Amino acid sequence: MLAEGALAAGCRFFAGYPITPASEIYEVMMRELPTRGGLALSAPDEISSLCYCVGASLRGLKAMTATSGPGWALMIETVQYALMTETPIVVALVQRLGPSTGGATQGAQGDIWLAEFSTSGGYTLPVFSPSNAAESYELAIHAFNWAERLRTPVILLSDKEVGMTSEVVNDEALQIPDLVNRKRATATADYAPYAVQEPETVPAFAAVGEEIKTTVTGSAHDPQGRLRKNSPQVINVLQRLQRKIEAHAEEMALVRPDLDPDARCLLISYGVTARAARQAVEILRGEGLRVSFLQIQSLFPIPRKWLDWATAGVEMVFVAEENLTGQYRAALTPYLSGKRIFGINQIGHLISPSHIARAVEGLMA
Amino acid sequence: MTTEALYLSPTAKLPYCRGCGHSLVVRQLSNALERLGLPPRSIVLTTDIGCVGLADSLFPYLHTVHTTHGRSTAFATGMALADAAMEPQGLKPIVMIGDGGAMIGLLHLVHAAQLNVDITVLLHNNFMFGMTGGQHSALSPLNWVTATTPDGNSIPPLDILALLRTAHATFLARQFATSPDLATTIADAINYPGFSVVEIVELCTAYGTRWNQATGASLKEIADRQGYAIGELETEIERPTFRDLYRHEQNVRKPKRAKPPVPRLNTTAQLKNEVRVVLAGTAGERVQSAAALLCRAALSVGLYSTQKNDNPVTQGSGFSLSEICLSPKPIDYTGMECPDVVLAVSDEGWKELQANGTVAACREETLLFVDSQIEAHPPMGCVVPLPLRREANPKRAALAAIAAWLENNPLLPPEAWDAALAADPAERRAESLAALEVGRRLGGECVKSS
Ligand SMILES: Cc1ncc(C[n+]2csc(CCOP(=O)(O)OP(=O)(O)O)c2C)c(N)n1
Ligand code: SF4
Repeated sequence: MLAEGALAAGCRFFAGYPITPASEIYEVMMRELPTRGGLALSAPDEISSLCYCVGASLRGLKAMTATSGPGWALMIETVQYALMTETPIVVALVQRLGPSTGGATQGAQGDIWLAEFSTSGGYTLPVFSPSNAAESYELAIHAFNWAERLRTPVILLSDKEVGMTSEVVNDEALQIPDLVNRKRATATADYAPYAVQEPETVPAFAAVGEEIKTTVTGSAHDPQGRLRKNSPQVINVLQRLQRKIEAHAEEMALVRPDLDPDARCLLISYGVTARAARQAVEILRGEGLRVSFLQIQSLFPIPRKWLDWATAGVEMVFVAEENLTGQYRAALTPYLSGKRIFGINQIGHLISPSHIARAVEGLMA
Repeated sequence: MTTEALYLSPTAKLPYCRGCGHSLVVRQLSNALERLGLPPRSIVLTTDIGCVGLADSLFPYLHTVHTTHGRSTAFATGMALADAAMEPQGLKPIVMIGDGGAMIGLLHLVHAAQLNVDITVLLHNNFMFGMTGGQHSALSPLNWVTATTPDGNSIPPLDILALLRTAHATFLARQFATSPDLATTIADAINYPGFSVVEIVELCTAYGTRWNQATGASLKEIADRQGYAIGELETEIERPTFRDLYRHEQNVRKPKRAKPPVPRLNTTAQLKNEVRVVLAGTAGERVQSAAALLCRAALSVGLYSTQKNDNPVTQGSGFSLSEICLSPKPIDYTGMECPDVVLAVSDEGWKELQANGTVAACREETLLFVDSQIEAHPPMGCVVPLPLRREANPKRAALAAIAAWLENNPLLPPEAWDAALAADPAERRAESLAALEVGRRLGGECVKSS
């Protein structure tokens, strides 16, 4: 469904390298793209996969690759290049149990930090995390839309359990956003590839090979794309790369709230664990406990307004996720001041609804 | 605009050290482009990291993409690949890369050669890393003195052209930066419709000539000693470019017909609450496809389902397992805290259920339909042994087990199976129906006897 969503979003180029549990996306793309006027190709490694995608995007096509933790580790150099050159790109990162080769056929939510905190300079990479097949479809379209609109790499953070479970999807219930395409430059004279008209934050795009001459570089550059040292203009460009994400953070926010206005505690989850958490909330409410629930689909930038809204009046916050150290909990903590924060964590298999319910009850008592 | 202005201006101030081979290359590249008279916007200069990557700003009318260390070839390949799928097309990436970049990005050169994408690579071989201070590279000659080989290099240099020949590159050339033929060779390479490489043998005047007794004249000596042929090298016969292959594939490839959706029947299923089923058997015995069929049958009567499969790392041997949830409403948690039904059709499958904790998780109400050959003694649950493998044959035992269970718990009307099987080829459908029949009979007998 993630691959279908990407196709619906207008993806025309895919380069991949086999890795469980992301190979299904690769196989669907290899089968489907050539018959839809696109191109899908096997790369000799993950560095090449992403470089090919970035090249294709520079030429003007919407492009995506799919991988898992070990392949993502190899892509980090090129993701930063896409960020620096403002090249739209989507990477589907289907998590498996790590570290290293880890457990190829076991799910996990252990790559939150590796995905988000992978750039020199600590830039915000938009990350969307689906919890089921339908969301994989919807969020793939959102991911492409934001990659195009902000001209930046976007990560679709799935995992083995979401990516490799077949399930029934009700087409009619899908919430499909309108498609967005990158804004193209029109003026041919004096085009500056990294310049914006304030208050805009995203420069217009000129494709390599078309009439407007473009200058692309991964080195620190001024609005014209010229390498400059110690120039305030260069620093401006570097600041704008972060500012453009922050300026759209609230618009990017996607959450599925289920709040109880009288609840004193809020359960937060995302990805596959959100499914168990939703069921845990039913169990707890069945026992007469007042709990609120927030599933976050747009992990980064952190949907702060929604977080403030969901935590109003709440004393305790629980974050359930399938990793050891509470990676997303740690990312949320600075925005939850004054709350008591607890993690519900486990690795090796899905966290069950009863596990979450018991943990919440135990901590509330 | 004169063509001269389109490329490198003769008065341009070059960013390299005095006498650096790179300055000869950019001039000859410019001459080659002028000679070819290509529209400047059809070219993208894709530069690598290093001194070699300073060329972008010298060609103000070409598209330029300054990339990362060693990856210029891969980015250029991506642009060329995309171009082959676009209309109008005709982009020509020219890669400028050093000997350092060539080695760290060797795989990209090899793959570009294999694909025969329409890019030209100018490999600036000055025997060392210039920008980082004159360290040795994989292409440094024997005895070459560098910042990291003060006593001379003792590792034999790589012949990249020889290597790319084995990757089926069809245009390979080598020239000295000082050669009067350089512009012609570069022009030939750019004109060539597939992957082309020109290795330019040159000197880094900041480090190479400082630490070694080398002048422009000694380049030939070094090349001879290394057995480096000069000029356009003979290669295998021409072969289709990536553009040709893509065009051909577009013409011959027919869209695949997707499996038609399962027809939705008017009947509804007799299911109030979720049921969780584990089906276990041996790889290659259609366990997971039987589970998929069950989900399709369930879908035809409006049920929701999830299916998760598991195998050992090698997919073709060992156990094969599917976990299925069926529910009248959308399914959240897909795990198997305690299964309602366990269907085990081989010993291998049963052993995996023991190993992964499924057997221990069975409750008193769990129903276990197992092949009679399996020694199944779970701590809890009701075991029903059936001769599934013998009566239905091992490849149909999984489907028969499902039918046997459903005979005892009629969730699905018989039409659901017809709907699920509607899209299958006749022979396959007949096999499946036979398996279902065996399962119903075996299941029916055990209903009677209990
Ligand atoms: C991944 C990575 N590793 C190391 C470097 C540092 N670096 C910059 S230039 C260079 C060597 C360039 O040598 P070469 O490709 O021969 O080009 P030249 O400078 O000789 O033109 C290196 C290693 C880098 N930029 N990126
Ligand atoms: S350091 Fe060497 S390679 Fe770099 S510009 Fe100077 S001479 Fe040329």
